[in-house]
Amino acid sequence: MRQFLSYFTLLLAGSLLLTSCGLAPPAPVDEPETAAAGADAEKVIYLGAAVSETGKYSREGKDTRQGYGLWLDWVNNEYGGVQIDGERYRVELIMYDDEGDPDTAARLVEKLISEDQVDFLLGPYSSSLTQSTSAIAEKYGKIMIEGNGAAEPLFERGFRNLFAVLTPAGNYTRSALQLLAEQGAKSVVIAYEDTAFPTSVAEGAQRWAAEYGLEVLGVETYPVNVADVSGIMSKFKELEPDIFVGGGHFNDAVLFIRSAKELDFNPKAMVITVGPSNPTLIEEVGADAEYVIGPTQWEASMSYADDYLGTAAEYAARYQDMWGEPPTYQAAESTATALALHLAIEQAGSLDTDAVRTALRNLDVVTFYGPISFDEKGRNAAKPMGAIQIQNGEILVVAPSNAAVAELNYPAPAWKDR
Amino acid sequence: MDQLSQALVSGLLLGGFYAIMVLGFSVIWGVMGVINLAHGEFLMIGAYLAWGLFRFFGIDPFASLALILPLMFLVGYLLQITLINRIVERPHLMTLLVTFGVSIALANLAKIVFTSDPRNVAVAYSGSFQFAGVTFPIVKTIIFAAALLIMGGLHLFLQRSRLGKSIRAAAQNKTAARIVGVDINRVYAITAGICIALTAAAGAMLSPTQAIFPFMGPPFTLKAVTITALGGLGRIPGALMGGLVLGVTEIFVATYVAGIGTNLGVATSFILLVLILVVRPQGLMGGLRPVDAEAD
Repeated sequence: MRQFLSYFTLLLAGSLLLTSCGLAPPAPVDEPETAAAGADAEKVIYLGAAVSETGKYSREGKDTRQGYGLWLDWVNNEYGGVQIDGERYRVELIMYDDEGDPDTAARLVEKLISEDQVDFLLGPYSSSLTQSTSAIAEKYGKIMIEGNGAAEPLFERGFRNLFAVLTPAGNYTRSALQLLAEQGAKSVVIAYEDTAFPTSVAEGAQRWAAEYGLEVLGVETYPVNVADVSGIMSKFKELEPDIFVGGGHFNDAVLFIRSAKELDFNPKAMVITVGPSNPTLIEEVGADAEYVIGPTQWEASMSYADDYLGTAAEYAARYQDMWGEPPTYQAAESTATALALHLAIEQAGSLDTDAVRTALRNLDVVTFYGPISFDEKGRNAAKPMGAIQIQNGEILVVAPSNAAVAELNYPAPAWKDR
Repeated sequence: MDQLSQALVSGLLLGGFYAIMVLGFSVIWGVMGVINLAHGEFLMIGAYLAWGLFRFFGIDPFASLALILPLMFLVGYLLQITLINRIVERPHLMTLLVTFGVSIALANLAKIVFTSDPRNVAVAYSGSFQFAGVTFPIVKTIIFAAALLIMGGLHLFLQRSRLGKSIRAAAQNKTAARIVGVDINRVYAITAGICIALTAAAGAMLSPTQAIFPFMGPPFTLKAVTITALGGLGRIPGALMGGLVLGVTEIFVATYVAGIGTNLGVATSFILLVLILVVRPQGLMGGLRPVDAEAD
């Protein structure tokens, strides 16, 4: 009990300390100086972003900040500044806390554009905040490049200035379903939360199921904050599908695994959108998480590399050095976001918005994060989504084949035989 | 037929959990006229306590009730003495404001202490057993049995013991209870202690079945309001009936409506609430009246 208490006291004291200091580790947030002044002394590119430091996305927002921070540190101190026409430009990044609120985020982006006069915008964390902030960027004709908003409707608004390096939500289950179809799976059932991102994932899953010849036996939705999915699971149990696809957020992953086991629902594979690629799931759910498959934007074990930050593994080591924890894919895609902008600016040879937009359109590179090339809607059409499977308590990449480090275990044994 | 009996079993098991979950809420409302908007947060705290005891000491969540019940009784008792007793006989808005404040404070405190990473308790017996062709989830069956046991015990306590009788006296008529010498503040504090301990116990028992996170409380509070409207205030048979009706309804709608069943099942509970309040504003069992005519 004492250990338990001292653990909490420590945590409590620690977090109070952090809040009172304003920021956790020395985050590279610069004071918003007047960007327009003092142009001749030193060439500077000003970037701005609203990213959650508090609120419901505080965890993922931290990953995003650290991802941006890694690139900023590297480009200024190691790379020597962005190169435009033979001149080196230092980069300053102005970040504000959007508190996870779409309206606050939009207001802050407006401030970044009109008061801080930033040259380009980096995205916030989450589809919903990207939704509101990109509308402001579009209104002012500022380029916003992002790596943390995957919902498809973001790219259906005809915006010219929004670019996303991550694989869009519709493709989340593609690699996994393709691989499972190759392994002989014939049928699939889908359950998803009826909000923007899971809906995009589930619509994509139905599209890919048809493409790979999988019969869709049932599709069910459930509301946010659902506490019981017994109805869905017992219905699916009757259908005896090969594959269960669950789209939702982390809490739902726990619920799906628990409910499947307690109702003895035995699909040969469980594909769950968010959760499996996060080590916390294995920590909390334990052995029942075995065999679960999940999509991933990026893993450190993938075989991608570039001339700037090296291989995926080298990136992970650099990140670990700088921030004292391994990178999540949210962090990696944030770094890749900034890197893509950096490369486009160098190719454009200018800070002019139109020139950089054209350069982004024509960009076609492979980075530590994977290939980046934008389609006409601003989505990264080149990057396949990876798939991971939990095997012996480890998160191992099983698809696509050029990034895989393990064979898929299929079919998963029934709960009673584990 | 098979699906029918499965849906019935799943619904009853869910209903049993709802009944034990709502009890603390309904008794506090019934006895003191306080609508405890922090109800779900006490459930969340119970779940986190069970998780902590399991993670750091390897104590089974059902065994940990032996620690959680007395601890949370104390918490409820102290909360009542320091805070709630000051507002009990004030206008309803005051009690709503204070308990709403408590709920926000507790949820955000939990976020600081436990972070927003979701937790879960991985018990070894998380599977199922077959009986008469129906699959019984082991954990949920234990919750159901424990819920019946606890409710039976509480019922006996309220009906037979002297303290239980003074709680009922306070619920029925504060003034008369005071006249015959009941220390009403102490009775309130004990009631709050019992109710918050029960709520935390429900959370602890829930911990192996779903994710635990700081903001899990409000949906449970909402559900508690619905069940109370169904079952009446502070009545144990009422809570059991309300819980079972809601659980079975939700699972049946979820099972037999294709596509949107689970959504509709949750919506049904609120449609029920609206219907009850329109048709019978005093509640289905006639319990939603002010407990003390002089209080309003």
